Amino acid sequence: MSLNKTLVDMNYLLKEAPREQHFITGAQAMAEAVKRASCDMAIAYPITPQSEVMHLVGDIYAQGHIKEYYRAEEELGTMSAIAGAARGGVRMFTATSGPGLLRGLEAIVSWPGHRIPCVLGVLTRVVNAPLSIQPDNIEMAYLMHSGIVMLHAENQQDTFDMTLAAFAITEKVDVYIPVSVSTEGFFVTHAKGYVDMMSDELAFTECDPYKAPVPAMDNEVPPARIQRDAPVQKSNFMSYLIHSVWQQEIWDCNKRAMKYIYEYLDGPIEVTNPNAKVMLVASGCAAAQAREANRYAEEEGLDVGFVKVRAIRPFPTDELNAALAGAECVIVPEHNIIGWLSKEVKAAIPNGGIVVEGPRVYGGMTLPVELIMTEIYDALGMDSLVLQA
Amino acid sequence: MSLNYMIPASKFKRYLPKDYVELVDYGPFGKEYSEVGTKNMGKYKELVEEHPMCSGCWMAYYIKIIFAALPNPEDTVTIGTAGCGRLAISQAAVPFIYGNYGDQNAMASGITRAFRLRFPDKQKDVITIAGDGGMMDIGFSMTMHAWFRGEKFTTIMLDNEVYGNTGGQESGMSVRGAVLKMSPKGKNFGKMPAMQLAITAGCVYVVKMSPTNINKAAKAIRRAIFAARELGPTFIHAYTSCNIEYSIPTPDVFRDAKEKEKGRFAFEEFMTDEAKELFTVVEAKKKKKVS
Amino acid sequence: MSKKITVGPVGYMPQSAPSMGVELSPEGKALLYGNIVEEEEAMRDAAKALLTMDNPTIFPGPMVLWDWKEDVAEKSGAILDLASEIPGCKIIPMPDYRPKYPKIDVKAEINPNHPNLTILDNKIKACVFIGVHCHYANLTLRMIRAGTACYTVAMCAEMGHEEAMASIRDVHAADVLRFRDIIIEVRNELGIEYTTTMPPENPSLPKEDWGSLTPSDYGEYRSLIMSKKGEHVTAVE
Repeated sequence: MSLNKTLVDMNYLLKEAPREQHFITGAQAMAEAVKRASCDMAIAYPITPQSEVMHLVGDIYAQGHIKEYYRAEEELGTMSAIAGAARGGVRMFTATSGPGLLRGLEAIVSWPGHRIPCVLGVLTRVVNAPLSIQPDNIEMAYLMHSGIVMLHAENQQDTFDMTLAAFAITEKVDVYIPVSVSTEGFFVTHAKGYVDMMSDELAFTECDPYKAPVPAMDNEVPPARIQRDAPVQKSNFMSYLIHSVWQQEIWDCNKRAMKYIYEYLDGPIEVTNPNAKVMLVASGCAAAQAREANRYAEEEGLDVGFVKVRAIRPFPTDELNAALAGAECVIVPEHNIIGWLSKEVKAAIPNGGIVVEGPRVYGGMTLPVELIMTEIYDALGMDSLVLQA
Repeated sequence: MSLNYMIPASKFKRYLPKDYVELVDYGPFGKEYSEVGTKNMGKYKELVEEHPMCSGCWMAYYIKIIFAALPNPEDTVTIGTAGCGRLAISQAAVPFIYGNYGDQNAMASGITRAFRLRFPDKQKDVITIAGDGGMMDIGFSMTMHAWFRGEKFTTIMLDNEVYGNTGGQESGMSVRGAVLKMSPKGKNFGKMPAMQLAITAGCVYVVKMSPTNINKAAKAIRRAIFAARELGPTFIHAYTSCNIEYSIPTPDVFRDAKEKEKGRFAFEEFMTDEAKELFTVVEAKKKKKVS
Repeated sequence: MSKKITVGPVGYMPQSAPSMGVELSPEGKALLYGNIVEEEEAMRDAAKALLTMDNPTIFPGPMVLWDWKEDVAEKSGAILDLASEIPGCKIIPMPDYRPKYPKIDVKAEINPNHPNLTILDNKIKACVFIGVHCHYANLTLRMIRAGTACYTVAMCAEMGHEEAMASIRDVHAADVLRFRDIIIEVRNELGIEYTTTMPPENPSLPKEDWGSLTPSDYGEYRSLIMSKKGEHVTAVE
């Protein structure tokens, strides 16, 4: 690193290093995390609303915090170049959103199988058509079955901490698959919030490409005759079997990431009032609104609890089961039309019938706390219209 | 020193399979080009031996030339994509990356930059080898943009004028009128001007050829690699017929390559002034060494 | 202690050990049949398997086969010391990770894309993997558990392997030698008399018998030695 930084491990960086409060946007928070990550290289492609993240990452490249940066031709080119560079043994970052994520998806879904460690920012946006640039996190649904580790940030502080932690998690020998950090476009990326940050003279220990479950493709590490991603497309049982165990390995890596989510981020969920009759379960921006609804409910003396889901993959099935064991109704507010989180929660608990699928907003609509309150009143058998009036 | 990663631990040498021991003892790694190279093919342990290509495959023959021509095989990474070529390339004793469809030049952009970051004082050659479909159709944007960006690696297109591996469909490099799968009434546009595109996009050294002369083919490959190290992107457009899809009887494959050499694959070489200067220096050095 | 991970064959479609709830052991501990135990306990069980089961074999991987790092010489020496104390032990290397084309020589090597071919052909019932990158080790160990009856020991320089019957983590040369000592100890306990013997060298290595060569041995260069029209070759030199 050209700037004289003090390199420290992630535990020190996240938990012990003194922090100062700043008032910054989510996009700035993500870039500030990259600044402290000893990231070697970032590849950018413009799209709204993530473009600001990659502009800012360009700025920190110009300031010398990262070593290499360029604007690629489009997202498939970006994501493919990341797969090349990561094989060459450097620490990588990029960010995208909505349609960009889908354009790069062919490369992205192959990253885990190729054992590519990198951090992907996903600043959520509507998927066309009709064309829109507004927040809506439906693209996360497409990532959920790719094998990639997925974190979902509620606010600017989460965006900062999760992005930093992601750099450590992705390079763990028993993980070594990409980690994505999603947060809602505009609502978080363009809004300012308080973020406690450590000094930017500190940075995460540099990447060691030889502490890896696969050889770096750099002609420095054996074997010589190597193709890391073996061609196994022959039509015989052995080819099928190697592909099956390979796929299993990716999901095992995903599973192994959980212990690091505990280590760096205090676990995959945060629970308030776990034994309540009505539980709110939400992630990302919806969690901020659900948190607020929970506060309203508390003020009104209602028996309501709240679970914020930080990790979408690996999905916290055991943790949710413990937190929702006493619930009679589970409300899952979301920023997308298909309700990917409510479906996950439904499938995770034995009594999925208690899950209320909603409220949901999409297409850029905001999620008023009142929508969540209405569901709470319904669940408690109260006449919501009268109460709200 | 990179060579270490292919030298057996002394205690284990007698436990390694013969193939690997021979590769180290009699292979081209760490040797002068004059001792190995295309001129000595058959006399040393080559990097590509067994491969699953069709009998009479001109592409397999050219791939053997590529690997025999490498100036620095122990510090070379090859990148390819779906297609017949990678069936042979993946058998070579050189690291090979097989990514997604047509992504080879984007992948190479990333890894070339990574190498320059990590090994500023060491030369590591990156070569993408893909077919006409992978380079000019599905990978077109990534191929062109890598050239526009001036990425310093070598691109080799194995042009068999058809999608051979998927069963003989029309490609952008098929000739006008060719009746192929997906062009049942004949292709209604001509070959894409790959060489001109490469020159326009900023390649510093571009060759179009039908590789009927092994040493001439090797010279072009080596020039492309030398120029990519110092100056910028380089491109070789080589005719590597598909004798299956174009029904060329095996004994006639060479004759067909010769014919193409007189026609649309007549030898053409483009180089910038800087490249020309570089070759004068590099090739003079070589001659001096030999004498 | 219930065994979570046992000697196979576990069947057509193996379930991965992590998906069965097995977790990697913390530093200083080992895994034995999927359970976290003291290293010595795992090593003793592994030693017993290697001493009592048929055709014990050590599979060294690329990281110990090639001289790429300073510690390789020491580690490779230790591995040979270990092998020399196991009666009838063979060394079959895993030199790289590419599937073998056109056909693997199962007496000479093992490959992570089809490891069971080597295990089955050589009737190996106990083996040690060392120096293999973790990704390929996990694939290999799982495929062996799926389709063969082989006790697997993983000696890993990193965090170990859930799929192995015995998994030792953070292995350096000294740990290999400690395992060798445990082998000797267990061997004496079992009353097996043995004098230290080096494993046989790779069977693919012996010199070719040039006298029995036929033109077909020359593959694609065959045409170079074929007789010309009208020429009669009666003997091959």
